Amino acid sequence: MSTAIAATATLPAVDRSPGFGAVLRAEWIKLISVRSTWWTLLLTFVLGAGLTILMCWGNAEWLASPEADESPGSFITWGMMIAQICAVILGALVVTTEYGTGMVRTSFAAVPARGKVLLAKAVLVGGVMLVLGTATALVGYYGGNYFLDREGIGLALEGDVLRAMYGSGLFLAGIALFTLGLGFVLRHTAGTISISLALMLILGNLVMIIPGEVGEWLTKLMPGNAGSAIAAPVPFNPMLLDPWPGLAVFAAETLVVLLLAWVLVRRRDA
Amino acid sequence: MIRAQALTKRFGADQIAVDGIDFTVEPGRVTGFLGPNGAGKSTTMRMILGLDAPTSGRVTVNGHPYGAGPAPLREIGALLEAHAIHPGRSARNHLRWLAASNGIPVGRVDEVLDMVGLDSVATRRAGKFSLGMGQRLGIAAAMLGDPPVVILDEPVNGLDPEGIRWVREFAKQLAAEGRTVFISSHLMSEMALMADHLIVIGRGRILADSSMGEFMREHASSYVRVKTPTVAEAKGLLTGQGVEVNAVDDELRVVGLDASRVGDLLCGRGLVLHELTLVSASLEEAFMALTADAVEYHAHAGRPRDAVLEGAVR
Repeated sequence: MSTAIAATATLPAVDRSPGFGAVLRAEWIKLISVRSTWWTLLLTFVLGAGLTILMCWGNAEWLASPEADESPGSFITWGMMIAQICAVILGALVVTTEYGTGMVRTSFAAVPARGKVLLAKAVLVGGVMLVLGTATALVGYYGGNYFLDREGIGLALEGDVLRAMYGSGLFLAGIALFTLGLGFVLRHTAGTISISLALMLILGNLVMIIPGEVGEWLTKLMPGNAGSAIAAPVPFNPMLLDPWPGLAVFAAETLVVLLLAWVLVRRRDA
Repeated sequence: MIRAQALTKRFGADQIAVDGIDFTVEPGRVTGFLGPNGAGKSTTMRMILGLDAPTSGRVTVNGHPYGAGPAPLREIGALLEAHAIHPGRSARNHLRWLAASNGIPVGRVDEVLDMVGLDSVATRRAGKFSLGMGQRLGIAAAMLGDPPVVILDEPVNGLDPEGIRWVREFAKQLAAEGRTVFISSHLMSEMALMADHLIVIGRGRILADSSMGEFMREHASSYVRVKTPTVAEAKGLLTGQGVEVNAVDDELRVVGLDASRVGDLLCGRGLVLHELTLVSASLEEAFMALTADAVEYHAHAGRPRDAVLEGAVR
């Protein structure tokens, strides 16, 4: 250690702001420099592809038999229903660990335009989940379809099946973005993860109990339900909105959460 | 340069953290920001950095509000909380993202790591760092943009004596290079060794804003202790000079004459002198006296208000 710090000459002068690209680069370094990111991504892949293959292997014979009352199209992306938990965790951690450690103050001191920090995180997490979700669905498809093919009920990678591949990417990206926005609002890891999971997995199913048209519409509109139809060629739940209208509803809900986060992150003291 | 004008921060309706303060932190010297816990130091620092919005008033860095310049890390470097780092991220990666956010070349990361002596542990996860290493990493982050203004909130917390000495020398050198250095602390003794200028805050108000020397003269009373077998004669002689003389135990305490003058006087009269000492109150004591009414949480028993700590001025 030297006390001789010497006004360093290695820094070239700047006359303009480093801009959004710099923020994006900074957030990218943050994202890939912690192990939790890699564990979460690995788990997304293992659960998403692995469980799909496992379910197809276990159910292929039944699906090919006359007793089957479900479609093979419901099984070919089965693992994505579980992989969404990983998307929730990644979306939360990217934001809430900064609040948990107090590092968010360093982030906002370095980038006083806080909206840019939110946007950069959203672009990266959304992008990573879109690519990984699609790749995971494809691997699950090829693995699962092997067993379906053996029973003569294989699915071609076209039409709704193809749509469910990138649909899985869109679904996971949406889940991660929804949770990321929620993280900026709640600023707490456990709270963000549990509320997001409760909304997606528990409340989404609970509202089905509500009788009549109200329950039916609530079921259709709950974020996890509305967004999930895009990720399966044939959804298990026949009540859901059609894939693209469902995704539009989910995207709108996610946008509302992100806008709320954007307003709050700029207004609140860090 | 940092300038606060009528800077105010309220939390809720009835809690005023910072109460309309005005101050200027000048370049080229170390300015100490002193105050008991809860006095408003950290809130003020967060407002300087644009993290908390002032309720009213304003604070500028280099003439403009924080964040109005192109790359904030090149204008002002700050250490706020030492352990505000993701525990799973290495020191180098922590500095890398910071550098990237402000367009600072990555080579600078290794320079500052070397500067604070963390080069050998740069790839270790920050969660395994001691408090002292965390402080050093925070200081490295503050110096990343080679900024003309440096703010350090409680920088010697958790440091060992060698680390404390390092921070002290470091701060002095930054000031000698012409930078604006603003350091908060509740450790008076540390400020006495480090700061050229003092801003004292208590309950959100500025209690003193002066050079260290002025502060001592104004707030820390000093006296000359005289021990002599001929107390009565000495007291008569000195009282005749129109100064304040108190007999305490077996000694005389003279306020208003310097030690050499007292010695000359007694010697001129042929009086025997056993001890002649200038006793100065410490900064600690001066601070206690100044903020006695401004401390939010008192320990009621055994507060050493009247204990005179001797000879600890500088």
